Amino acid sequence: MTPRERMKNAVDFRAVDAIPWAENFYVETISRFVAQGLPAHKIAVVDWKMDSGILLNWPVFTGLDANSYFGCINFFGCMIVVDLAPIPRFKQRKIGEDSKYQQFVMESGARSRIVKKGSRETTWYAMPQFYSFPVSDKKSWERYKQRLDPEDPRRYPKDWDPDGYSEVLDQYDAGPTLLAMTGFYGFGAELMGIPGFNLAFYKDPELIKDMIAHWEYFTIESVREAVEALKDRIDMIFWWEDLAERHGPNISPKLYREFLLPHYKRVTEFLNKNKIHRIMMDSDGNTKPILDLVVEAGISGHWPLEVNSDMDVRTLCKQYGKKLFLVGNLDKREIAKGGEAMRNEIDSKMSIMKETGGYVAGLDHLVHVEFTFETFKEYADYLKTKLPLE
Amino acid sequence: MADILDEIRSTLANLGGSQHLQDLVNTALSNNIGVSDVVEKGLRTGLQEVGAKYEAGEYFLAELLFAASMLDEVMQNIKPRLDAQSIHGRGTILLGTVRGDMHDIGKNIFRMMADAAGFGVQDLNVDVDPGLFVQESKQTKPEILGLSCLLTTALPEIKVVIDMLNEAGIRHKLRVLIGGNAVTKEFARQVGADAAALDAVEGVDFCRGVVK
Repeated sequence: MTPRERMKNAVDFRAVDAIPWAENFYVETISRFVAQGLPAHKIAVVDWKMDSGILLNWPVFTGLDANSYFGCINFFGCMIVVDLAPIPRFKQRKIGEDSKYQQFVMESGARSRIVKKGSRETTWYAMPQFYSFPVSDKKSWERYKQRLDPEDPRRYPKDWDPDGYSEVLDQYDAGPTLLAMTGFYGFGAELMGIPGFNLAFYKDPELIKDMIAHWEYFTIESVREAVEALKDRIDMIFWWEDLAERHGPNISPKLYREFLLPHYKRVTEFLNKNKIHRIMMDSDGNTKPILDLVVEAGISGHWPLEVNSDMDVRTLCKQYGKKLFLVGNLDKREIAKGGEAMRNEIDSKMSIMKETGGYVAGLDHLVHVEFTFETFKEYADYLKTKLPLE
Repeated sequence: MADILDEIRSTLANLGGSQHLQDLVNTALSNNIGVSDVVEKGLRTGLQEVGAKYEAGEYFLAELLFAASMLDEVMQNIKPRLDAQSIHGRGTILLGTVRGDMHDIGKNIFRMMADAAGFGVQDLNVDVDPGLFVQESKQTKPEILGLSCLLTTALPEIKVVIDMLNEAGIRHKLRVLIGGNAVTKEFARQVGADAAALDAVEGVDFCRGVVK
C-alpha cells in the first residue's frame, strides 16, 4: 500500500497493512534537529521554478522534508491551494519599536507585538501578542467583508487548470491530498480575537449571524470550482478551528447549535455531494462537550486530541465508532521523555486502535522543540515497529 | 431587600443582560439598599454562581466573558458610590505572564474574574522579567502572585521567579498561584508554588480561600 492508500483506507475504517503515521514539525524543531545531527542535505527540498519572475528555470529551495527522513506522512505534503484569506492582504509592516519589541500590522489586519529578533533566544511559536483586531462591530465587518469576495480570480493559482492539476495530483502518493479551510469559529476568532468574538455572541448576535452566513457563502463559493472539478481526488478536508482549551470548548453546545451548526451542515453537504467525505477538524483542547454536534455537522475526523486536555482515543473510539476517525493523541510530554515512558504511551494506545481502526498515529500536537533529534528518532524507530498489522 | 438582591444575583447568574442588571441595581439603590450589600450579596454572589456553572460544564468561555462584562459595566456605573473597601476589599493580586511567553487570553480572563470578585489586580502584562515580579512584589505587597504560562518552553521561568522570591526573602509573604495551559498540579508541587489553577474560576476560588 502507498502511504496515500493507507491513509485513505484507515480513515475510512477499511483494511490496512499498517496504521498510518502522520506528524507535523515546527520549523524550529527541524532546525534544532539539524544542529543535533539530522543531515540537512537529506531533507532540503529544491525545485526548479521561475520564482524570480524572469523566464528562466532555476533551482529554488522550497523547504525541509523531515517527514520522509523519519518515515511519517506530512498532512500538508500535497495541498489544493485555494486562497481563503483576505484579498488584498493587509500589507505586513512594522509600526513601532522599542528596546525589546516590535509592533506589526499582520496580513489579517490584526496588530501584534513581537519580541525583537536577536534580542534574546526565542522560539517562533512563542507567538506574537495580538493586541488589536480588524473587526469589532458592524461597520468594521462591512469594510472587511470587501476583502472576502469568493469571485476574486486571485483565489486560484496562476497555473490553475483542473485537468493539469488532476494529472499532477495522481503522481503524489506520499500522503493524502488536502484542501485546507478555516472553520466558523476560527475565522471569527482571527478577525475579532477570542474574547471579542465570544462576547459578540451575547452582545451583538446579529453581527455574528451576518459574519457566519457570509463565511458559509464565501467558503463554498471560493472552493466550488476546485471541489466540483477534482471531487474525490481531494482526499481530505483539513478544517482549522482551534475552538477549545483545556477546560472545554470556548463556545457552548447551545451557541454552537444555534449559530454554527446549520452553516457547517451546508458546507459538509456541499462537500459530500461532490464525493468528499473525509472532513477533519483541527482543534486543540477539550472538545468533548460539543463533539456530538461536531459529528452531527458532518465532520468525520478529529486531530490532534491533546492528552493534556483529557482527550483519549480509547474512549472516543468507543463513543463514536465509525462516525469519527481519530488522529494523534500520543502524549507529547510522555513521548519526549523517551525510554520506558515513551514505550508505555505507545503500547497503551496502539493495540486498542489497531483493533478498532479509523486511527492515524501521531503526537497530540506538532513536534515541539522539547524533542531532541535522538528522542524523536527513538520514538520513530519504536513506533514503526508497532504500526504493521499481522 | 432580599428579593431584589436575589434578583440581581439571578440576573447575573443567568446572563440576563447588562441593561436589566443595571436597572435592578438602580432600583435597589433607590430603595436605600446599601451599595456594599448590592455588590456583595447581589453581584458577587451571582458571579460565584457563574463560576460554579462554568466548573459544572453548564457555562463555557463565552458565558464567563459575558458575565464578567455585565458585572464590569455595572461596577463602572456604581464605582463613585463605592469606597475602596467595597471595591477591592479582598486583597491584592500581582499578575503576569512569565518571560518568553506572550500569551494573555487566559491571564486576562482571570484578571477580569478576580477584579469582579473584589480583588485589586495589578497586571504586569506578558513576557515579564522575573526581576520585575520580585521588585513589584516588594512594592505592592500582594497577598497573591499569579504567574501565567502557556508554553512548555517557558515553564522553567516559574521556578526562576520563585527562586528569586526566596533569595529576596519575601517568598513567605505571599502565595504563588500558577496558571495557564502548560501548568499542572504536579508541576506546582515540584517548583514550590502554592497552587496551580487549571482555569480562571479555579484560580479565583483559590484567591478567595487565601484571603478568607
